[in-house]
Amino acid sequence: MAYRWNFAPLLDNADVLWVGALGTLRIFAICAVVGLGLGLLVGLARQSANGWLRRPATVFVEFFRNTPVLVQILWFYFALPILLPFDISPLAAAALGISLNSAAFTGEIVRGGIQSIERGQWEAGRALGMTPAQTMRRIVLPQALRRMLPALTNRGIEIFKMSTLASAVAYVELLQQGKLLASLNFNPIETYTVIAVVFFLCLFPLVQATYALERRLGRADS
Amino acid sequence: MHRWDFGPVWAHADLLLLGLWHTLQVTGTALAFGVPLGLALALMRLSPRRWLRWPAGLVIEVFRTTPPLVQLFWFFFALPILVRVEMTPFVAAALTFSIQSAAFFAEVFRGGIVSVERGQWEAGRALGMTPRQTLRRVVLPQAVKRMIPAFMERAIELMKTTTLVATVSYADLLFQANEVAQKTFRPLEVFTVAALLYFGVIWGVSLLAQALERRLAVSGEGAAQGGAG
Repeated sequence: MAYRWNFAPLLDNADVLWVGALGTLRIFAICAVVGLGLGLLVGLARQSANGWLRRPATVFVEFFRNTPVLVQILWFYFALPILLPFDISPLAAAALGISLNSAAFTGEIVRGGIQSIERGQWEAGRALGMTPAQTMRRIVLPQALRRMLPALTNRGIEIFKMSTLASAVAYVELLQQGKLLASLNFNPIETYTVIAVVFFLCLFPLVQATYALERRLGRADS
Repeated sequence: MHRWDFGPVWAHADLLLLGLWHTLQVTGTALAFGVPLGLALALMRLSPRRWLRWPAGLVIEVFRTTPPLVQLFWFFFALPILVRVEMTPFVAAALTFSIQSAAFFAEVFRGGIVSVERGQWEAGRALGMTPRQTLRRVVLPQAVKRMIPAFMERAIELMKTTTLVATVSYADLLFQANEVAQKTFRPLEVFTVAALLYFGVIWGVSLLAQALERRLAVSGEGAAQGGAG
């Protein structure tokens, strides 16, 4: 006998899923801003001539890129509060883990982007009497950011997918609310299918846009 | 100030190492199924036949654009009801990560195959080979060499992603760390050691990957110079 799909309990509890969706959007927004912003700083620090900036940035990048993000989230949730005089909320732990992890990956994208700019651009800046910082801000970074755009949107998509890991520390987001509904209504098939479809519909256009962006930049560069 | 005490961690080192072994088992299984399946998906996606190309594209896009944790929950909680089979955490994890990594490996394979110049296909045809023979003898060997950096990166990502199995109670390193932390009331030490263990293994693999990449780059250059000379 085939399974009989029934989406009625989900429609009745649409508000529960809506609360989850808002939670997903909230943590995504925090992590996208903090992760990409911090990543820019980390990438610049890794390019710095000053060893006091460069070395800590390298250690940070290597550590956060080479450990699983779920381990980082659980570390911030269970281990960090012992060192601190206050508790860490599920949102704070998940946002810390995902943001720092994304910052490490973004730092590498930024570094690659800056390195891809020809030496001549730096020399041109110097010839015009700009300081290295001015050259970086006005000449190199704007060009590098353009080249980095597809990789950065990819990071954004990864952050959106990673936001589901916040459910491991019981932060209220879409998957967490799905778990709740699935156990209340005994309908994991419909619930998890709907959640997968929601994520797919949110991300598929973004993925296609990234492909299109890659093709356009690829054409423009060649 | 917290007084660090790693004694309880060493006392349960066997549990953590067992967890690490389980992590490697899931990763190995997913690689063993994911790589051939990824090659099959890539060949399907490159096929001129639409009925092969479209399903492969669908599988690849769906598994690349949905969160792995949602996939794992679907395979663990939903699939057993649909197909009426008992699903152990290991089988659910192996299934999820095999298909998921296959989707990513498919794109690696496709990129590698597409990067081989058209002339190689024409040369195969000129020698009287069928397209299949050309693919196997001429194109794939060259493509595989170019794919190795992307391939290693995916394998490392896969290993990191396997930590998700802890959420369906498969006793991997992360799950064991959680257990030991609860048993010993030493979450700081236990999770720190677990993180360092992951770091050691994953960093080691990525250093190996980099060394391999450099060696290939050198031999690739030599081949290119040989070709020019």
